[in-house]
Amino acid sequence: MPQAPEVSIAAASEGGYPVLEDGLSPAGAGAPAFKHSRLQRLADRWAHLGFLVCSLLVVGLIGGILYFLATRGLAAFLPMAGNTGRTLSFSEVFLSTDWAPSSDRFGILPFIAGSLGVTGLALLIAAPAGVLTGVFIAKMAPAWMRNLMRQVMDLLVGIPSVVYGIFGLTVVLPLVSRTWLADAPASGFAVSALILAVMIVPTIVSLSTDAFESLPAALDEGAQALGSSRWQAIWRVLIPAARPRLLTAMVLGLGRAIGEAMAVQMVIGNNPQWVALMRESTDRAPFLRALFTPAATLTTELVQELPNTAAGSTWNNVLFAMGLLLYLLTMVLILATRRLGRGKEA
Amino acid sequence: MLTPTLPETKPIKLSVRDMAFSYGPKKILDGLSLDIHAERVTAIIGPSGCGKSTFLKCFNRIHEVAADVNVGGDIQIDGVDIYRGGIDVVDLRRRVGMVFQKPNPFPKSIYENVAFGPRLFGVKDRATLDGIVEDALRKAALWDEVKDRLKESASGMSGGQQQRLCIARALAVNPEVLLMDEPCSALDPIATSKIEDLIGELKESLTIVIVTHNMQQAARVSDYTAFFWLGKLVEMDLTERIFTTPRVQMTEDYITGRFG
Repeated sequence: MPQAPEVSIAAASEGGYPVLEDGLSPAGAGAPAFKHSRLQRLADRWAHLGFLVCSLLVVGLIGGILYFLATRGLAAFLPMAGNTGRTLSFSEVFLSTDWAPSSDRFGILPFIAGSLGVTGLALLIAAPAGVLTGVFIAKMAPAWMRNLMRQVMDLLVGIPSVVYGIFGLTVVLPLVSRTWLADAPASGFAVSALILAVMIVPTIVSLSTDAFESLPAALDEGAQALGSSRWQAIWRVLIPAARPRLLTAMVLGLGRAIGEAMAVQMVIGNNPQWVALMRESTDRAPFLRALFTPAATLTTELVQELPNTAAGSTWNNVLFAMGLLLYLLTMVLILATRRLGRGKEA
Repeated sequence: MLTPTLPETKPIKLSVRDMAFSYGPKKILDGLSLDIHAERVTAIIGPSGCGKSTFLKCFNRIHEVAADVNVGGDIQIDGVDIYRGGIDVVDLRRRVGMVFQKPNPFPKSIYENVAFGPRLFGVKDRATLDGIVEDALRKAALWDEVKDRLKESASGMSGGQQQRLCIARALAVNPEVLLMDEPCSALDPIATSKIEDLIGELKESLTIVIVTHNMQQAARVSDYTAFFWLGKLVEMDLTERIFTTPRVQMTEDYITGRFG
């Protein structure tokens, strides 16, 4: 039927339908042929290019930071161009607790231990508090309170860390130094971990609330229909069911805590020699003592010392190595989050 | 109230008198009275939104998980009021098990799913637990299919197997009544017929109340059928009579598909 399409196309054109340039409609005779204008197609192509450039920029930026950190950080251990300082061995940096840059001793173990200690303690406080608050918001609170709490948590996530630092410095530290636990300044792990915990609790709460809300109601009902009390249903069914997402919440909280510099720097006391100080101490309760000993972490030390060192000097290079270490630690945490998030849910 | 007229040899297990149920300001059930006999299967039928599932959930008070509900009238199990008779809700739920519309196995192993109930009630001894688990899985006609993979996650089972696992899980605490809320609505015909066979076996020792949308299913598995409409009981009778000679015109219209 060679005749038929022509007739239909004519009819379609008369009816005001747009027609393809070559006069043929893709959907068969008589169907309206909708089509983008030339300008539209050009705009699409440029937009595509724009998006590509933006995403490449972001990737390039991250790669660039890593490259910069790596070259400067590794300069401490490898003879490199522009390196005015001494080349160090890995062990005298990573396995030594002796940090005395003016005497050419660069042990960063106190900072690694400080970072791990303070984040670990913070997570120890924040994880149970955050998960239980999440359970409460998702499964127990009445609707009005749930909405209120969610909004409050979202607000808290957005508070700048320096505000938490000021709160720690002006409220918590004076309060703690008045107790029997601490003589004088009271700065150290305990207060830092507390401030960090307060900072990361909202993140953990938000994510665990999501985790519990995304569980099918049938799980909760099923557990209670078997005679579980409210608490047994939560503890034995809901928390295990939400475990992958709860772990993700904790790792994200951990990531925020380990990278935090400002708030911690304001309350930790910034004492790079804290390990040595601990060794000399004859205290009967060393753990308690450690909680209130002014200390330092990777981030606080970077903030404190980086502006005062000359580029290319050994001191400066080691600080960059610390930055690289932080970067890698955070990367590992992010990868772990991905891993956990993908973990089979049930 | 229209009640069954045949002489019944089994005692009354659950008795409902002038029961009303409201969710907030919304009245869902009103003026309901009926009796459910032990070791019989009672089917509840009716169009969507007529309150069938709500009615079922009143027997184990599981609706209390959602807040703001109000139950009026009397519901008795073995002559004791389950709302005001001083019955512990945990004990009530042990005695009155429930199977839900969609299979809801816990994200645990097959074994742990069945052992969940006994563990709640303090059974710790491994051999005892093993015995309970095997027994419950056998009763649910699942043992032969899963005995070699008890440690595997329940989420790897088919829908029909999961639903039978949920039945086994409910049976593991030795209930007297089993509530089934459209237990086959998410299952294929073969899985459905397995569950239906199972219902026939289980009623030897259990009182079963089943809500179903499927008229043929009600006719196949139940001894009594109650027809609900807009939160009220229209008619309850022996199933064969409901499906052959109902006394109320509306019942006939519903089961013959003229509305609903």
